[in-house]
Amino acid sequence: MQVHPKNGGIRFIIRKDNKLYNSPMKTLICVLMIACFFSSSCQRVKSRIALDDQREKLNDVVQNEAPNPMELILLPHPGESKIDHEISRYQGKIRLSQNTFQSIEHLGWLYVAKARESFDPGYYKLAEQCANCLDSEQPQCSEGLLLRGQVLENLHRFKGAETLARELVAKRGLSFDYGLLGDSLMEQGRLDEAADAYQKMVNIKPDLEAYARIAHYRWLKGDIAAATTLMQMAVSASSPNAPESAAWVTTRLAFYQFQNGKPDKADQSCALALEYQKNYAPALLLRGRILLSEGKANEAVEVLTESERLNPLPDYEWVLLEALHSAGREQEAVSVQARLDKCGPSTDPRTYSLYLSTSGRSNKTSIELARNELSNRADVFTHDALAWALASNGNAEDAYKEMQKALVEGTYDGRLFFHATVIASESGHEVEAAAWLRKALVNPALLLPSEQKQLSQVQTLIGEAAKQKAVTESKTAALFMMEK
Amino acid sequence: MKTKVSRLTNTLVTLLIAIISTPVFASSHMDAPLIVLDPAANTTDVYAFVQQINGVKTLVTALGVYPFEEPGIGPNKYNFDDNVLYAIHVSIGKDVAAGLPTYSYEFQFKTTYKNTKTILQSYLGVIQDIGDSAQNLTQTYTVTKIDHHKNKSTLLGTGIVPPNNQGIATPYYNQGTNGNNPAIDGVATSDQLDRYTSEAITNFPSGYVAFAGQRDDGFYGDIEAIFDLLQLRSPGKDSQAGFNIHEMSLGIPISELGGDQQVVGVYATTSRRQVVVRDDGQKGTVTYGPYVQVARQGNPLFNEGLVAIEDKDLYSRTSPSQDKKLFSKYALTPELAHLLNAIVFAPNSVAPETNRTDIEGIFIPDLIKVDLSTGPCRLAGGGTNDVANPDDSGFSRLGIFGGDTLTSTVQAGFGNGTVPGGWPNGRRFGDDVITIAVTALSSDLRVSPPIIHGPYGDNVDSNDVAYNKVFPYESTPHNGRNFTHE
Repeated sequence: MQVHPKNGGIRFIIRKDNKLYNSPMKTLICVLMIACFFSSSCQRVKSRIALDDQREKLNDVVQNEAPNPMELILLPHPGESKIDHEISRYQGKIRLSQNTFQSIEHLGWLYVAKARESFDPGYYKLAEQCANCLDSEQPQCSEGLLLRGQVLENLHRFKGAETLARELVAKRGLSFDYGLLGDSLMEQGRLDEAADAYQKMVNIKPDLEAYARIAHYRWLKGDIAAATTLMQMAVSASSPNAPESAAWVTTRLAFYQFQNGKPDKADQSCALALEYQKNYAPALLLRGRILLSEGKANEAVEVLTESERLNPLPDYEWVLLEALHSAGREQEAVSVQARLDKCGPSTDPRTYSLYLSTSGRSNKTSIELARNELSNRADVFTHDALAWALASNGNAEDAYKEMQKALVEGTYDGRLFFHATVIASESGHEVEAAAWLRKALVNPALLLPSEQKQLSQVQTLIGEAAKQKAVTESKTAALFMMEK
Repeated sequence: MKTKVSRLTNTLVTLLIAIISTPVFASSHMDAPLIVLDPAANTTDVYAFVQQINGVKTLVTALGVYPFEEPGIGPNKYNFDDNVLYAIHVSIGKDVAAGLPTYSYEFQFKTTYKNTKTILQSYLGVIQDIGDSAQNLTQTYTVTKIDHHKNKSTLLGTGIVPPNNQGIATPYYNQGTNGNNPAIDGVATSDQLDRYTSEAITNFPSGYVAFAGQRDDGFYGDIEAIFDLLQLRSPGKDSQAGFNIHEMSLGIPISELGGDQQVVGVYATTSRRQVVVRDDGQKGTVTYGPYVQVARQGNPLFNEGLVAIEDKDLYSRTSPSQDKKLFSKYALTPELAHLLNAIVFAPNSVAPETNRTDIEGIFIPDLIKVDLSTGPCRLAGGGTNDVANPDDSGFSRLGIFGGDTLTSTVQAGFGNGTVPGGWPNGRRFGDDVITIAVTALSSDLRVSPPIIHGPYGDNVDSNDVAYNKVFPYESTPHNGRNFTHE
């Protein structure tokens, strides 16, 4: 219990004579305010607010000076949820210089929790500012490194997260440190190294965090049964005292159940996740997908509209769009598509690239988006996105090569199977295409309606090709017999 | 105003997104949370004291887990975890000083559902008897004794976990057998126990008695004020009031421990299973590794109040056999004594800050030492004014500091075999461990006669509800229907 705060710490941090930041930040803020004016609608829902008012308020806050980290993390925090109250409570402690270092660290993790709860990545930035404050108090402290690493990971700066994780592992090697390392490696497609990190993590401390990560690893390796068992263990270790975590692992379990052809169980798990956390967007998204797969398009629209409202990302918009098309609600679809087209390239380029390729609107942009993503996040799904973009642009040969990279881990995923089918077929690998088709047809419910339609078309093509081949073969055989 | 503040903050969140030039992407949907507590494996308190049960002199042990169960949050969520190995350890003879377990009593749980084709996870109707057809989610458990010297394990028996107290579905927990009423208060005799608790008490062969299930959290203290720079208040606020926990209790016949002419040590651990990340060539199977200790608890407040943050995890992972090497420093030079002097007693310096061999004697190794040679300890009920369930005559929440002592036949104690009636000689439900600890730290127990200052405490002097004076002693769980925190 460190009761004596380092009283000088706060004063040092909040003083406004930090020349290092002053000038560039002033310029940056001016630029950003202009940029915000034009781009704010592409930020999160909560950030879509009138900028005329913002400018004035912002001026009040920054008072023409660079905001320093301590001022930012102590900005009045609204909200009525438990996390909101906790954030305000810890801000109060910091203002009173109570347990300052620990309180800042705690506040940082509360901002991470808030980001997860609200799907508002702006809170990661506040968490990052907390890491800056920790660094100011104790340069290169492990607490600050872990917090910053978690922020970088969530902002998809995986290489940066890996660097910090390696530093932490060398410095102290706690289970969290290995977890962060494994996560950053996993996202970069370095599964073998990630497995080593996760093994160390679970050897030190088996718990929800470790079980959930190992479940995900097994799922990526195509072992859905083991993934389900492990995620069930994570669910057992969850608690309503940490509702977002409980909802998260329960929704992941639901996803595996859905993939395993058990939509009823999956829906039950979604219901449980929503008990933990009301209006939990990922659970609503999955529930919408289950409804859509059951042909209940209008019901799906209701659920998906809510999930998209809570988390307006391409993943959510695309599924909602499909549900609206299925329900024949084309007018509503127009505005959703407009949102998707406007924000997709910046908020989730990989999914947007997939969407473009699937919806027949593929162009150079979809390839560029996937390629850019690949430079940062070389996992199987980014390889798949690039392969699909290449195929959609008529480059079947390169698409086939890229698709092999997407399939290398054996991931059990309907969309991967669908893409593999089409790409193998288009690149002249008929036997492979037929094999992937069989896999894709095991549970076509995993695909969106438009994907199912395309799969059906390629199934017909493969069937006709097979029929054609059979006819040719039988004619050849007959000729051969006649010659004999 | 609220709207303005909200907008202002959102403005800055927007700004922050842009301040760092890298783009903000969507969540990867793959990252599990990184730092989450593990409440099902998180120990709250360990208790150990001498009683007569069914005419047998018994060492009563209890381990609480799952802190801060909010009664009103719903019945489905708080359960023992099938993947956790819960263990109460008892050290005898030389093992006490060495911090080694002689016997371990392991609780392992199994969860089943009578009907999975329903959304009614816990209850299918009003539960009349534990395990009946209305108790959908049902946990059973085994208790296995491990004899570490003989390397032998023996199944002592199995039991069933009663339902959590939800209200209408579990009326027998509550006053007037009415699910709308508060939980039944503590009782003085076994026949007054509520039906579910009574049915869940299981007698094993050789005189063991066991219970596992939801209870009120019997710990009391103003934790918020203590960790708020020791800025105590009067009256204090019981931070645990109104919260439930899950508890395992085991009565161990003292004859099974080699008789009562000895001082034994008690502590508890929880462990989770390691798993092998890579498959072993066989898909669909999970290979499990050994259990890994994730939490440990002996005396109250040691890890919470004396061990520094940087070593708290280490404490949780290690055995008491390493306490002398790793954690003696925290008992010999307790930071809390320094803080008490600096914050509470300033400008005086009341608490000795160094060479606290007396504090080391209590906490190192971190086992609750219980003198088995004494008679049964005095128990807390509902206070001295509770007519139906009064505290035992002579009971004091302050133990020896309140004149509540026992007589030992195996140690001189504070003279003529006088030993504390409660913690740190064992730990009873109702012991005011915060006040006892602060008083002990402020006093000097190294000299004879000891110099006692205080008592000093947190101004929380009792639990929010009465204890039972019969097994399992811990109070009835709060009713989720009518009890929730704001």
